[in-house]
Amino acid sequence: MVRTGYDLSNSVFSPDGRNFQVEYATKAVENGGTAIGIRCKDGVVLAVEKIITSKLLKPGTNKRIATVDKHVGVVSSGLVPDGRHFVSRARDEASSWRRFIKSPIPTSIIASRLGSYVQMYTLYSSVRPFGVTTIIGGWDSEEELPVDGQVGSGPKMGAGGKDESLRSGGPGLYMIEPSGLYWGYYGAATGKGRQVAKGELEKLNLQNGTLSLLEGVKEAARIIYVAHDDSKDKDFELEMTWISGKDGPTKGRHEEVPAKLREEAEKAAKKALEGEDEEDDSSKGDKMEE
Amino acid sequence: MFRNNYDNDSVTFSPQGRIFQVEYAQEAVKQGSVVVGLVSKTHAVLVALKECSSYEKQLLYINGGRYQGIDDHFGIALAGLASDARVLSNFMKQQALSSKLTYGRAIPLERIVASIGDRAQTNTQHYGKRPYGVGLLIAGIDVTGPHLYEFQPSGMTQEMVACSIGARSQTARTYLERNLDEFANASKEQLVQHGLKALKNSLPQDKELTIDNTTVAVIGMGKVGKLENFKLYDGQDVSVWLDLDSEEKSEDTSAATEGAAMEIDS
Amino acid sequence: MNHFPQAWGRPRDDIYGHYDASFLQSSGPNQHTQSPVVTGTSVIAVKFKDGVVVAADNLASYGSLARFTDVKRLRTFNDTTVIGFGGDVSDMQYLDRVLSSLDIKESYANDGHHLNAKNLHTYLAKVLYKRRSDFNPLWNQLLVAGTDDDGKPFLSSADLLGTTFSAPTLATGFGAHLAQPLLRRIVPDEAAVGGITQEAAVAAVKECMKVLFYRDARSLDKYSIAVVTNEGIDLKEDEKLEAQSWAFAEGIRGYGTQVS
Repeated sequence: MVRTGYDLSNSVFSPDGRNFQVEYATKAVENGGTAIGIRCKDGVVLAVEKIITSKLLKPGTNKRIATVDKHVGVVSSGLVPDGRHFVSRARDEASSWRRFIKSPIPTSIIASRLGSYVQMYTLYSSVRPFGVTTIIGGWDSEEELPVDGQVGSGPKMGAGGKDESLRSGGPGLYMIEPSGLYWGYYGAATGKGRQVAKGELEKLNLQNGTLSLLEGVKEAARIIYVAHDDSKDKDFELEMTWISGKDGPTKGRHEEVPAKLREEAEKAAKKALEGEDEEDDSSKGDKMEE
Repeated sequence: MFRNNYDNDSVTFSPQGRIFQVEYAQEAVKQGSVVVGLVSKTHAVLVALKECSSYEKQLLYINGGRYQGIDDHFGIALAGLASDARVLSNFMKQQALSSKLTYGRAIPLERIVASIGDRAQTNTQHYGKRPYGVGLLIAGIDVTGPHLYEFQPSGMTQEMVACSIGARSQTARTYLERNLDEFANASKEQLVQHGLKALKNSLPQDKELTIDNTTVAVIGMGKVGKLENFKLYDGQDVSVWLDLDSEEKSEDTSAATEGAAMEIDS
Repeated sequence: MNHFPQAWGRPRDDIYGHYDASFLQSSGPNQHTQSPVVTGTSVIAVKFKDGVVVAADNLASYGSLARFTDVKRLRTFNDTTVIGFGGDVSDMQYLDRVLSSLDIKESYANDGHHLNAKNLHTYLAKVLYKRRSDFNPLWNQLLVAGTDDDGKPFLSSADLLGTTFSAPTLATGFGAHLAQPLLRRIVPDEAAVGGITQEAAVAAVKECMKVLFYRDARSLDKYSIAVVTNEGIDLKEDEKLEAQSWAFAEGIRGYGTQVS
């Protein structure tokens, strides 16, 4: 490619209609640790591969998956400080939604707001695009939310009454790219090992809506292990969070997967990986295509 | 001649997705003289070389040299542009004070470190701003124990078991990596010694650690949940730690440490 | 229906004559709350050796009208702190939202740090003081109960002026006159706290709630009670006063039909 100066400033199109600065920002993401999200029937799992860049780092700290509101979590791949900026904006959106609307922000709306925010950083030459691709997971409560300022329990029937049969809410998973582009996903992957991870996610047939949250945790751990490239990177730490409905293990909150469960999943992942190596090299073939 | 077009400002990505202005700012950290930080289960320690440029000296010796005690429970050491560090330390002082006034709580370290990280990130995403040209080690204690954090111009902050930044700090880091397992259960005296040894490793061949070029800062969990406040040892005061180090060379290690420890406590 | 919102929901001029809208000020200085509107009455609390017992009834009064009879005036925070609200109910709901937002912000870091009762009391007192300094007070008196930095029982109050006060027994509103002397009889000072069991503290508080119902015309026999210890919070929001005896009323003279 001949660079003709159209790639030196953000918000400038090249003659063939590309915004190079956004493409370069995407390159920053491609070097980040793999991050994935799985939308299960009864919850969402987020997982990230944290490459250990130095032995001096304190193990088990330096968390990379952030809580944005009680029911929303965010994981990103790319420039870590940009990810933190993104999270802080997400928190502002969530809390201002609560302040004005007096209810938790739906996952679809926070994704939309943040998509717009990221997109704005592609419009002006005075800023640079975000060097992160971000996965947002959330659970919208299926319970009837209390009306703010409600005193007493409200009418049982008639105007303002409730239709008991109506149901809403559920899991939500979205991924936002440096361009501001975002989609809803059944399974999302970004970072170094995204190609491998995407392949594995496709095999889970998530669109059928049959995978349970607990299975999702196991799969997420396995996929991060499969996507990790031993030859290029040193050790890594697996960080996982999950969100379930009111009846599930996290009671509608975004929380870290309990250490015991995570270790179990990691053990199973390592075992599955060993078995796979003996069988075939199909996963390696996938990687070459990238 | 090759000319890098992508390094003029901090709002331009290179085709590889790098931001050169931020990387150059990291170089400024490497120009500063070396500082070392490390933590045990009970203490956090910073040791540093005082060879600042005369510019740095003018700015910093007014207020405690290369360290800043930000609050009773934590302090920082810097490598790089001291004036940038001043901005960050003033900000941290405000945050720490605000936490005390609003909640009556010593600010949790992870949060104050994150707040300067977020501030630094902004400088890397907007035209007309420049990244901070300083690296910090933040050491302190809160209710969850002793902590050490590294802050970089990119806005990256990481919790470390031990760390060193500044000129020739790689050799200090190598020392720290080799002795990593000994820090957790080390006494205050042993921890400072490890710090001084790491520091010595990064000195040029002909240099030695003396009371004129070395400073030490210690913070610890005192008895019965009380804090041993952030304490700075400078000038003559450093001699207790340096003596400790030389004694150890000549004599039996454990005996020397115990003797010196008693001396300090009295 | 017309396009003048100020006329909506008002009596028709053609039937009832001209509506006096003078109280709807369209000019003049900004006015803030100058009195509470829908109010909750007493909150009472007492320390015991392992924690604190707090209680408040479930009534929100609109003047002398017992308007809402299922209002919860005790709020928990972090499973370590109970806050009891006396005074204006809408200001209580505002503070409740402020606390919920604080709770979410505190949980971002997930770093093992939690605000205890003492921290929350400091914070709430600051919020109240800020508002009174803006001449726009939150019309409440709060009791904050839980444990302090050392895990010892903590009980303190903050009011609409930002004034703070601590004692081993505290009561707001009418309770300050009726319940406080009774509670002080059992726990006269800080030294006495160590000798009080949870059962004794709960019994004393229940007895006080009864006295308050007998003598406070803005009170209710349905109440909430919470026990805060280091083990957590036991909050019951639907309690009913037991073993009431109105025999004492026989002796009261000077009200209603009993003229002499």
